[in-house]
Amino acid sequence: MAKPKRKYKRRYDNTATVLLFILPALIPLIVFWIYPILRTIWLSFTNWDYISPTYKIVGLKNYLSLLRNPRFYEALGHTVVFTAGTLFPSIILGLILALLLVKNFRGSGILKFILFSPWITPTVAISIVWSWIFKVDGGIANTILTALNMSPLKWINSSDTAMMSVIIVTVWKSLGYCMIFYLSALERVPGELYEAGALDGAYGWRQFVDITLPSISPTTFFLMIITMVNSLQAYDQIQVLTQGGPSGSTRTLLYMYYQLGFNEFNMGQATAVAVVMILLTVGLSVIQFKVSEKWVYY
Amino acid sequence: MNTRYSDNRPLPLRILALLGKILILGSASIFTAFPFIWMIVSSLKTKADILNTDIFFPTEPQWNNITSILFNSPIPRYIFNSAWVSLVIVALQIISGAMLAYALVFLKFRTNKILFAVVMATYMLPVAATYIPSYIILADWKMLDSFRGLIISSTVSIFGIFLLRQGFMQIPKGLVEAARMDGASHWRALWEVVAPMTKASFITFGLMNFISTYNNYMWPSLITKSSEYFLVSQGLRAFFIRDGAYGTEWALVMAASAVVVVPLLVLFAFTQKWFINGIGGETGIKG
Repeated sequence: MAKPKRKYKRRYDNTATVLLFILPALIPLIVFWIYPILRTIWLSFTNWDYISPTYKIVGLKNYLSLLRNPRFYEALGHTVVFTAGTLFPSIILGLILALLLVKNFRGSGILKFILFSPWITPTVAISIVWSWIFKVDGGIANTILTALNMSPLKWINSSDTAMMSVIIVTVWKSLGYCMIFYLSALERVPGELYEAGALDGAYGWRQFVDITLPSISPTTFFLMIITMVNSLQAYDQIQVLTQGGPSGSTRTLLYMYYQLGFNEFNMGQATAVAVVMILLTVGLSVIQFKVSEKWVYY
Repeated sequence: MNTRYSDNRPLPLRILALLGKILILGSASIFTAFPFIWMIVSSLKTKADILNTDIFFPTEPQWNNITSILFNSPIPRYIFNSAWVSLVIVALQIISGAMLAYALVFLKFRTNKILFAVVMATYMLPVAATYIPSYIILADWKMLDSFRGLIISSTVSIFGIFLLRQGFMQIPKGLVEAARMDGASHWRALWEVVAPMTKASFITFGLMNFISTYNNYMWPSLITKSSEYFLVSQGLRAFFIRDGAYGTEWALVMAASAVVVVPLLVLFAFTQKWFINGIGGETGIKG
């Protein structure tokens, strides 16, 4: 914004210069982001199958058949379970770790390094390692369970435990990410707040609830949105560990979209699922913004 | 709670808190580091060791597992592909991103706010929703299954634009105006005045996007089908499931994963502060 008193001096920059600066980003943005999104919405109203050169507009048919398809509700349910199952543990554990690491001590640097390292390694590589850990016969996870006198699990090979296994891998990966955000949020809480709180007798738990939590609420809010968007889009670990199985128990909306579009070439249905994902993302963000007005203190 | 101004608790309670802290941090670190450790020890095992769940360390380290991956497998090729495709992509993203961020912050034009709103709106959208039309575009341009296709579809980073814009806004407008008065073009103002002052944002941008492009899996695996164009993630997965050998060569598969992962951990060890400052710091979020 120009300052009001200088308003008379405000003039626009040369159009050619402006175009030169924005087009290198804007053209790819239009070609590979904005146009594809609009095209996806358009395709969701057609019966295109990728192979035939022509297609018909079928109106809401793709959406109606989604709404009648039990697979869709299953995938929606799995998406909700997966999102909630990764969101809460990642954020709560991330916060606990950050609280314990915010004051530097000998070795805290190396702990931060370890806890954050999963985030920079390829999910595919590490999911392969986890599939070896989760192996039913001779996998280390079951070896540990047996040693602890617990009954071994079938992990990614049973529809009862596959989702839990995928969630464990995802939480493992995103824990350090949440921790790093909270660390810097905690460092930014003004010391005077704690001093003022101490005068009012706010120590320990009260100090945490009355001072720390409200001060870091923008970070919590941000992490909730980011984790939700990431969970909605999780693909790598599902593809390596379970391919949506066993019997569809880890098929999320994104995975259903992938199977419909790139295995079955049912582009109409696939893009309809994509539009549902877009609506979910937009809806979640709007709800989050509304709710955050009540509990986020900027 | 181990926060400031709370250390006037009785001694037993403080000892208990300390023990709790050690317990939580210890188990979290073991949980996090375990897959890496397990990957490395397994990569040095013989087939017999692998099947024997009672031994943790290899009876005799099989270094030839590693050397056969390094010299006798396609894995190094995938690493090279990933590294160089990511370098090109990140270089393009930095140039296009810096120019757009400069325009948003320092140039005056009528559609400035609309442009920012458009960029902002795409930030949250699920990128997978663009994949089918983007695939068709690349097919029309005969760019499927090529490095060109991988590169051209990823020349913009919306995250990077945000990161740089955040950094650029900290710079006093007067500095850029002064450079302009001295006859510097906008191009020179960007690279000789603005960029040196926001070096940290550029480094964070470069590192984060390098890592995420390097590791990227879904989109590259949709558009490349010949192994000569595989990036590491797709290559590793192909190696994992090759010849229907799913899970019979665990030691080699672990060695391949280790060859991919360990260099990244080393890179991260040296660049840690840029990630941590970049993610958590002022550049990350602001109310």
